[in-house]
Formats: sequence, C-alpha cells, structure tokens
Amino acid sequence: MPPVSWHEDVVLTRRTLSRRGFLYGTSAAAAAGAFNFRDLMSAQAADLRKQGRAMILLFMQGGPSQLETFDPKPGTETGGPTTAIGTAVPGIQIAEGWEQTAKQMQDVAILRSLTNKEGQHERAVYQLHTGYIPSGSIKHPSLGCNIARELSPADRELPAVVSIGNGRAAGTGGSGAGFLGVDYEPFHVQNPGTLPENVATAVNESRFKRRLGLLDRLEGDFALRGGEAVVESHRRITDKSAKLVLSPLTRTFDFSQESAATRESYGNTEFGRGCLLARRLVESGVTFVEVRLGNWDTHQDNFDAVKGLARQCDPALAALIADLKQRGLFDKTLIVWTGEFGRTPRINPRTGRDHWPRNFNALLAGGGIKGGQVIGETSKDGTSLTKDPVSVPDLFCSICKSLNVNPAKENMSPIGRPMKIVDGGQPVEGLFA
Amino acid sequence: MVRRPNLQTGLIFAVICGTALTVSAANRGRSAGTSPPHAAQVAAEVDQLILADLQKNGVKPVDRCNDADFVRRVTLDITGQLPSPRDVTIFALDPEPNKRAVVIEQLLRSPEYGKNWARYWRDVIYMPATENRARIAQSEFEVWMADRLNSARGWDQTVTAMLTATGDVQEHPETALLIAQGAQAPEIAAEASRIFLGIQMQCANCHDHPSDIWKRNQFHELAAYFPRIAIRQMQQPISFEIASVNSDRGRGDFMRENPERFISMNDRNNDGKLTREELRSRAPAGMPPQFLDRIFELGDSNKDGALNLAELKSLPMPDQSRRGSTEHYMPDLNDPSSKGKLVEPKFFVDGSTPGHGLSDDDRRAAVAKAFTSPDNPWFARAIVNRMWCEFLGEGFYMPVDDLGPTRAARFPEAIDALAAGFVANHYDLKWLVRSIANSQTYQRRVAPKSSAEDALPFASVTPTRLRGDVVFNSLMQVLGIDEENAGGPRGAMMMGGPRAYQRTPRFQFDVLFGVDPSVPKDDITGNVPQSLFLMNTNSFRTALSGTNTNTRLGRILRENRDDRDALSEVYLLVLSREPSNHEVEICEGYLKDVGQRTEAFEDVMWSLLNSSEFLSKR
Repeated sequence: MPPVSWHEDVVLTRRTLSRRGFLYGTSAAAAAGAFNFRDLMSAQAADLRKQGRAMILLFMQGGPSQLETFDPKPGTETGGPTTAIGTAVPGIQIAEGWEQTAKQMQDVAILRSLTNKEGQHERAVYQLHTGYIPSGSIKHPSLGCNIARELSPADRELPAVVSIGNGRAAGTGGSGAGFLGVDYEPFHVQNPGTLPENVATAVNESRFKRRLGLLDRLEGDFALRGGEAVVESHRRITDKSAKLVLSPLTRTFDFSQESAATRESYGNTEFGRGCLLARRLVESGVTFVEVRLGNWDTHQDNFDAVKGLARQCDPALAALIADLKQRGLFDKTLIVWTGEFGRTPRINPRTGRDHWPRNFNALLAGGGIKGGQVIGETSKDGTSLTKDPVSVPDLFCSICKSLNVNPAKENMSPIGRPMKIVDGGQPVEGLFA
Repeated sequence: MVRRPNLQTGLIFAVICGTALTVSAANRGRSAGTSPPHAAQVAAEVDQLILADLQKNGVKPVDRCNDADFVRRVTLDITGQLPSPRDVTIFALDPEPNKRAVVIEQLLRSPEYGKNWARYWRDVIYMPATENRARIAQSEFEVWMADRLNSARGWDQTVTAMLTATGDVQEHPETALLIAQGAQAPEIAAEASRIFLGIQMQCANCHDHPSDIWKRNQFHELAAYFPRIAIRQMQQPISFEIASVNSDRGRGDFMRENPERFISMNDRNNDGKLTREELRSRAPAGMPPQFLDRIFELGDSNKDGALNLAELKSLPMPDQSRRGSTEHYMPDLNDPSSKGKLVEPKFFVDGSTPGHGLSDDDRRAAVAKAFTSPDNPWFARAIVNRMWCEFLGEGFYMPVDDLGPTRAARFPEAIDALAAGFVANHYDLKWLVRSIANSQTYQRRVAPKSSAEDALPFASVTPTRLRGDVVFNSLMQVLGIDEENAGGPRGAMMMGGPRAYQRTPRFQFDVLFGVDPSVPKDDITGNVPQSLFLMNTNSFRTALSGTNTNTRLGRILRENRDDRDALSEVYLLVLSREPSNHEVEICEGYLKDVGQRTEAFEDVMWSLLNSSEFLSKR
C-alpha cells in the first residue's frame, strides 16, 4: 500500500466515510474509469473538510486586563504606563507586548465591547463557558460541548472535546458536558507534548488486546444474570477507551514529527505547547479544544504581570493563526481568545487592577470571521462602553454562526426543561461582513 | 456450593446472632401496639403493597437473590465497602434463617455506615455548589455528618441544624449548604427545597413554573427566609464565616454607622486616627485588602496615610443594591436594575407566615420548623424516596429530587407507609435503612429494567453503578492498599493549607469518578477517563503483580497451588462470589493458552477489576 500522508490520514477521520457514500463513489468512479482509490479519497477528503468545522478557545483565566491587551489607553491616567503599538492593519493599535499578534491583525477581529455583570471568578468563568448563570439545580453544558454534539461525528477515535492545561479539580465549573452526558465530556490533557495520563497501556500491546478479549468473554455471565444494560454501556465505554489507546491517532499527542522551527514559533512554554497540541488535535478531527492560561488575576503589579503573560500568549496565538492558515485549516477553525471579565481602568494603590465585567475584550479569528477590524469602542479613559455593546449571548451566537450551529436548538435537561444552546442574543453581524 | 473450610467460625457466628435475634424479637412482641411501628412490620407492609400492585398489573416479581449477592449488596449499600471473602463465606454457610436481618443490624452498628452516607451527603450538597470555595470545609462536614448518622440523630434535627447554621464553616460544618450556595437567598431556597423536600422551584425564580403549580412569588417568598445570611472571609487561617446580618447597612458597615466607636475600637496607639496596619488586624477577619485600598483612596483626603473621624464620616455611602439588603426583593423582570418588589417570607406548602421584619435567627428557625414539620408531607417523602432509590436503583418518584403535588409516584401507598413509619420513629434514618433492607422487594434478584416507559419498577432490583467513593473503597480492599499508606488522608492533611484535602488520593479519585448522587442511576454509565484509569493506571501496577508475594494476588497464588482454588479466591476477592462453571471454563482455557500461570492470573484479575460487575451493585 502506498504510504498515505499523515495529513490525508487525519482529514479522513474527521468525518468517517459512510458506507453508502463509499460504495456510490466507487461505482461512480469505476464507471468514469478515471479515478483510482486514492483520488477518490482525496475528493472525499476535500468535501469532508468543508464540513469539518472546529473551534479553539484560548481562555485567559483570572480576567485579562483589556488595557494591557487589545484596548490600550496610552497617555491617560487609567491607561498607566502601557504604550500602544501599530499592527499590520493601519489604524488598529494594540498594547505593547503583543508584537507577534500585531503582525497577524489582518486575520483577527478585536471585540472591545464585551459587557457582562458578573465580577466573581467562578460564576463568570461558568457564564463565559456555558452562556448561563450558575444554578445549583442544573449543570449547563459548555458551549464547546454543545458544539461538539452538533458537529462531531459519532464514530471517532479521539474525544470530541479536549481541554488543555485546565486543572481537573474544583474551580473549573462550566467547562463540562453537563446534562449532555459522558459522550461529550472534555478529555483533559495536563502536559501537552506528552501522551496523556493512562493512555499508554501498562502492559505491551498484544497482552493488552489479549486482556480485552478475556474481559469481553467474562462479561457474559453478568449480562445473563440481570446486568445486561450495565454490561452493554460498560462495553461501549471500554471499546471507546481501547480504541483511543490503540489508535494511531494517539501520535497526535506526540510532537516529535513537528519541526524544531514550528515548535519554537509557538514558544517554549506550557501554553505554547498547548496551542500546538490544539492545532494537531483539530487537524486530527477533534471539534473543540480549550487551552487555558492562568494567573490573569492581577490585583497587584498588573503591568509586569501582564508583560510576563503576554510573552507566553503572544507568540503562541500568532503561531497558531499562521500555522492553521498554512495547513488550510484556518477557514474552518474558529479561534476565540477571551477571559471571564476585564479589569478596572482605575489603577489601585498596589499598581493592580481589580475585577471589571462592564467592558472587556475578546479576539476572534478564522472560521469565516472578517479580520483586520475592531468592533465596539470604549471611552477615552476606558471606563465606559461607547459603541456596539456585545453581551455574552451575543458572543455565543456569533460563535454559533461561524460554526454553522443553530443557537436556538433545544436540548432536554434532566427535569424535562428544554434548554437552548444559547439563550437569547444576536450574532454580531459586523464580524462576518 | 462454597468450598471453603470455615464451618467452625460460621457456626459460632450463627449461634451468637441467633441469640441476639431472639432477644430483639421478644422485645418487639412486648412493645407492639403502643410504640411506633417496627421496621420489619413496615417492610412487610411495603412488600405487600408493592406486590399487590404488581400483580394487579400482571407483573411477576423475580426470586429472592442468593446469599452471596445479598451480602455484597447490603454491605455496599450500608457501609460503602465490599464484604471480605471471609464474610461472604461465613454468611453463606450460616444456617440461621434470620441471618439477613442480623447482618443488617451489624452493618448499621459499624462506624462505616455513617462514613459512607456522610460521603453521599457531601456529594449531594457540594457537587452542585455554585461557590466552590465551600469545599474548604468538606472534610469537616463528612466528620460531622458521619457522627449525626452513627448516633442516629433525627433527620429533622440534622436538617434544622443545616438550615439554621452560623459560624466559621470549618468549626460549624453544618453551614455546608449555605456556603455551597454562596449565601445567596434564591440559591439556598432552590437547593434546600430540592434536596430536603424534593421540590424543584428554581424555574419559578424568573417565571411561574412551566410544568408545575408553583408561582414566581411563591419561590421568592421562600427566598425571603434567607436574605440575612452573609459570608465573611477570615484571613488567618483562611476560612469563611456564615454570619447573620440584621441591620440594613450591616454588611461591614458598622464603620459608617458608628464612626466614633469604630475608631476607639481599632485605634491601638490612641492617636485618634486609623492606619492601614490598625485596620488590617481588625478582628475577626481583618479587612480584605481591596476594601482597605478603596477606603483609603476615597477617604484619606489629607493623604497622611491614616483616617481621622472627619474623614471616616465623609466616606460616601455604598450603593444600595438588592444584594446588600436585609429583605428579599423579587426582581422586576421589565426593569432588572431596579430594586424590585419587597417580598415577605411565606412557606409555599402550607401558606404559613412567620411574621414581619424578623431577625435572621427567627426567619431560619421558622423555615426549619416549616420544612421539618410532621404536617409537611414532602419532608419525609423526599428522604424516603432518596434512600429507597439509592438502595433499589430507582425511586418511587424519578428523579429523586423532583416530587411535588403534580408528580405521580409509583406505589404511592408504599412510599406513604414508609414515610409515616419514619415520622413515627422520630425521623431515624437507621430505622429507614432497616425497613428498606429487610424488605423482600430489596432482596430480589437483579434484572434488566423493562424498556417500556410505563413499566412498574421493583419487580426486581436494578443493577446500578457504584458511587465514586464506593469504587475507591472497593479498589483499596481488593488490592490490599491502605488509604493511609497511599499518601492520605493523613499524609496529605499533614502538609496543611486550606486545600490539603485536594491532595488526598480519595479526593483525586473522586474528581475522576464522582457523580452528583441526585442524578438518575440510569444516566450514570462511567466515561472514558475512568475506564482509562482502571485499565492503565500506574498506581495499580505493583498491587496487581502476581510475582510479588506481598500482594493479594501473589499470596493467593502462593497459597493455592490448584488453579481452580486460586480462581475461586480471586473471584471471591474481587466480585464476592464463586466463579460459575462457565467462567471457570473460560479462565482455565485462558490459563492454558497463555501457558504462564502468574501472567494469566494477573490478566484474570485485571479483567475482573475492569468488569462492569465490579463497578456495579448486583
């Protein structure tokens, strides 16, 4: 068999060829007499890629300062010592420290007018993930899990949703599948660049397969003794896990095939490796990837702290855009950069900034977003919104529009209450113009 | 059937138990009629009611489960642990006809009963928490709850304690529900109603309940019992306090109301001014740094780094928002930023009102009384339904926390009989466990649920997945690992810090395996990360080894030269039963194919640990 390139291999897995499509294609090709097997695969692959939309969320946990990122106010009291730099798009300025991102500005839309009411971390993180306010009685699915449910094929080897660098412990509320159930629960990766925990078998592969065979046969008795349903659902999950463990796609987690130049471009940081892994996962057919970067809660030493964070985030973000473009994945992959809220324009006595949900910013790129523009505007000192306010549901509707997901679709919660993917809101039309 | 020579111990055991039972049976006879109904009586009544209904509907119940299945099931349900291979053998050999009732009593006396159910309640309260910092007190909550359960305190008293709690959350872990919901009145109202009454009112927060009779104002009248609860952060050591706030500007506003006294209380060097240091050390919690900065920024007009009386008095008043008020306001949906409509407390079940302008203590005492009143049918029904569901795999009402007047119970007379007995027995949860576990309905074999939507449950027991803590206990037992030696909890707790509990192996396991116990059992199927953990984790590698003679498997292989004996031991250890002939056949074939005894047995043990039966109740 001729060596199939890695790239083709992964594109094919995103939407598994249906049997019918395959047969139809074969006979049509045979009739035409012009196509060989690989041509057919490539034709299908292009078609499949068309549908294969994906999203990468870069979540800045703690609440990034809008004034030190994409809405600087140089020369004002609130703006502090931060200066602004020009970008590839004339007229658009962002804060110093984001030089790499500035070079990609033609592909990036800045949203300066996000506005919300919640200024408490956990509640706001929950809201920026689910679109809903937390409630003890219902666990809302994250938008990412909703998207995966809408877009991701049922038969897949890799998980539909992957979350990178996001501690599994308490405090990560809102990023789970909620009432959508285990099929869409995010798969957590702690150390990007290495195989995730428990994916490598504890014994050699042939013994692992042998064990699976024994397990399968030993399940039979319990099934006969009344455990039928339990055995059946357990088998489904065991199969899925085994598929992942044995899948050649696990090499997605291994960076050894990436050139040194590519790896370097993302930066030698945890977050940089997370972004590189995000690209590899999307390429392998994963629908939603979140990469988190923490420590944005800059109540003190805001300016130095953000500089340090920008040094990690800026190259990774810019490299991700460039890399996706180069691989032809950019148009189908939406990148969203945001945090749970912004920070006070007023600088506190410890040269910090406090929580500020009233106006904060986000970046959107790829996925059909029109780059090189700024949406929304804040007053000269940054203390109020002066143009085009965008609520969290508006942002979510815009994401849905980019990914071709119907935000008004309802899923049933366990108590039989239908919940829309996004409750209210309107897409920001300017993003797509 | 069982091939273990443990007859002698078994007999002694039987004799002791037999005596105990005779005595208690005699007591029962004497007091019948006057005292509250006995568990056995109610269990029989419930059985009859269920059986009659099943027969009327042409459903034939399955047989009683065998002894091995029963002892595993009841031990897991009551103590959250597996019976040891020895327990299973002794129980099976015991000729005493009442041995099931006896073992139920023994398990209820074990401290593991309280520990197991305390963990259940920990999950019920904390899993849906909207304030995750509440978990700081979860270890203390487990200890508190275990003690209440083991000492058989009435459920009415326990719920009262949880609704009326105040104080440092670690010293008073009964504050769990209040801090878990961030001391927010609407959230507390919704969760207290859902958990303790099984009534879901939260939809009525924003509109009249779409599928129930509850009106929006009824929800807010319930919330009006809770507006005076506040969280205060304590600095050293870091903790939180649940406080009652009875003055309208009371949230940290003593300073603005009594500036003179505020200065004299804090002015350590008596210079008539307050410095940051003086304010920072202010009892009990000090002021949060952001708050201090803000006060100095606003108030220190002469910039001398201290606040004098005039400066204190000239501090602007904080915004009067709904949140800071001591009364509950129902938001105006057409004008969300307005203060909304003042709502007085009123209990939606019976329409009772505690009065006007009451203090936090009085309001919460009133709501606790209304919740736990014998006249409130939902209080007893909710807990009976919940416990029954945990034991049987399915409740009279499903899901367990959605009861209420418009929901129809299956076997309504049976749940009411249990509820009445429970109330008459002073809300004793041990009595409730005893009634459920002694019923024939609980002791039936497992069978798959009928797929028909309106099929009646309880003709058999539904096999369900074990809770995360129970899987953890089972693994520790089967692999012979001591929780302490596995790095916790003591080891992890000794390192100290407010998040010490997060370092315990149990917590980390729970993060992966924990599920909100209010979720219907049908929906709990496990997931890929759990399955990957069980298949591949490094932490079991040594414990699963058959060559190491210190492991359970190593010892079994050393002590049992005969493969069939060894196989029986492995099955008893992991699944608490002997292998069937079919399973023996499979395993013997496997041993032969592999040709390496130790390796093949390791594979068998691995397969059993990864089987659905190990993770399920049967």
